Amino acid sequence: MAKEPILSAKDVEIQFSLRGKILKAIRRCSLDLYEGETLAIVGESGSGKSVFTKSFLGMLDANGSITGGTIMYEGTDISKYTAEKDWLTIRGKKISMVMQDPMTSLNPLKKIGKQIQESIELNQGIKGEAARKLAIEMLKKVGIPDAERRANQYPHEFSGGMRQRVVIAIAVACRPQILICDEPTTALDVTIQAQILDLIRALQRELNMTVIYITHDLGVVANVADRVAVMYAGQIVEYGMVNEIFYDAWHPYTWALLSSLPQLGVKGEDLPTIDGTPPNLFYEVKGDAFAPRNQQALAIDFEEEPPFFDVSETHKAKTWYLDPRAPKIEQPASIKKLREQMRK
Amino acid sequence: MAKYTVKRLLQSLLTVFIIVSIVFVLMRMLPTDYYFTEEQQMKYDEETKHDMLQAAGLLDPIPTQLFRFYRGLLRLDFGESRRIQTGVSVWSIVAGKFTISMRLGLIAMAISLAVGVILGVLQARQKDRLMDHVGTVYTVFVNSVPPLVSYSLVLAFGARILKLPSLYSNRNPGPSSILPIACLALTSIAHYALWTRRYMVDESTKDYIKLARIKGMSSQSIMVRHVLKNAFVPLAQYIPASLLLTLGGSLLVERFFSVPGMGTLMTDAINRYDTNVVQGCVFLYASLGIIGVFLGDILMMILDPRIKLAGGGETR
Repeated sequence: MAKEPILSAKDVEIQFSLRGKILKAIRRCSLDLYEGETLAIVGESGSGKSVFTKSFLGMLDANGSITGGTIMYEGTDISKYTAEKDWLTIRGKKISMVMQDPMTSLNPLKKIGKQIQESIELNQGIKGEAARKLAIEMLKKVGIPDAERRANQYPHEFSGGMRQRVVIAIAVACRPQILICDEPTTALDVTIQAQILDLIRALQRELNMTVIYITHDLGVVANVADRVAVMYAGQIVEYGMVNEIFYDAWHPYTWALLSSLPQLGVKGEDLPTIDGTPPNLFYEVKGDAFAPRNQQALAIDFEEEPPFFDVSETHKAKTWYLDPRAPKIEQPASIKKLREQMRK
Repeated sequence: MAKYTVKRLLQSLLTVFIIVSIVFVLMRMLPTDYYFTEEQQMKYDEETKHDMLQAAGLLDPIPTQLFRFYRGLLRLDFGESRRIQTGVSVWSIVAGKFTISMRLGLIAMAISLAVGVILGVLQARQKDRLMDHVGTVYTVFVNSVPPLVSYSLVLAFGARILKLPSLYSNRNPGPSSILPIACLALTSIAHYALWTRRYMVDESTKDYIKLARIKGMSSQSIMVRHVLKNAFVPLAQYIPASLLLTLGGSLLVERFFSVPGMGTLMTDAINRYDTNVVQGCVFLYASLGIIGVFLGDILMMILDPRIKLAGGGETR
């Protein structure tokens, strides 16, 4: 993947001010996004997955701001955008987003056709009847049967899965280059999840979009992603191709995440869990943020933040384990087991 | 929807019927002495008084009287006033007072809706900034200070500084209405501003607003096309009711400025035991209130597609 990234975030820092205190939600986080790929960002709640990606379209809450780093997109550093006018050139047109809860993402008092039409009128300069036709076409495209009639209905007349399809239709109505899916299936029935994932995949292919999935469902990741980035305490700690993460992970946090996959559980034994809690981001984090929860932490983990070490050309992990000076550390049994399962 | 409307209408009629019946019976339970002025009490002996009551039908058994009252009610006839303006039909007394109250009420309502909603919108848009704080201070002040105190402030300011007439007068209805209207509007502006702000702030934190931003809509258009309309829906439900009730006049304001409107009429009629006038007023107030709530529900149903007020045994 020697291509140029279409979006490149470098050392991004995002802070929130909460009751007079500063919370560093994102701590020097970097990410390259390549055209047409599907990237999954995984991590536990509060690790900053959503905040990080929201900053790509200026959707941080009012008390949050990007305080460092750059986000290069189409030759401009969009992290410096402050005026709404600037963001409006990005939102919907270039980068769009699907949110978690389809039940609340649609205006309950507007016909859904109208809500899609709005997006088209805003971004494509097409008005009225022509925009309406496009909206109906979009509804068909996201798999809503009887689209002409459905366009005249209100959100409450749709089921959760159908609403998420409508939300997706709104998000992609203007053919964005990048689509961020923030846990698009979490609020949905399990049987619907696969359909929505398929839909996003089909649209991705058709519209040639780059998709970022934010999720903590590793099953989804294995299904859809080309690449995976693992986030912990406001940083990406490991990233690589999906196989590399699932079968040859190196960061102890990735290990812990994978070990707690229910699929790896042995009948009769408790699933492994990760002890402790993530660090409080109101305070400065010293060394490797995961060290206090890592039973095999090295002395240096508590002292100095590790840099990224290459595992392969596409796979990098931010852990001292990979330093040549580090004592020899074996990948845990569960990771080996995963690898063996793959060989079979 | 038609079925529901008819059903609600019938229910409303029934409610009004029950209210006027209860008030009628209560009035009849008062001692009959009250039907005479002190002067009359002294002038007539017991027999004359008895004859007079008999002639007025006030000594008949209550069911008979009630029945007679219902017959009048069917023709919307409440009889004649006995004490306020003896011999004049209740309707013509009420109609005269009603026009005065209605004129003040309608103007005050229009002003407070316009000013209140605009103030609320400004507050919501400038949340936690100067405009919002100014508005909040105003609302809190109006809601926490007893109305008579704030009316006195209006009066002091209006009469002393602006030299406006401090009492209402029929000969000079224009300028002398200004202060009563200001007092009426004072409280309802605060009410509308408070609720507009609250509903707008509520709406603007909803997820669908985020989606509207994501799809590239400017916050200006989001305010107009999404937030304002949605915030107005819960507000709209109460507009017909408060509109109709302002028509009935405000007791306090009318007393304060000696406006000869419905509010004063009602208290006068009660004080002087003019039963027919009381019944007429109660009927009017009850009808206005109930029609207001009814219209509010209908308006809600038109504005909010989620509300399907079912007819015929269905529940929503």
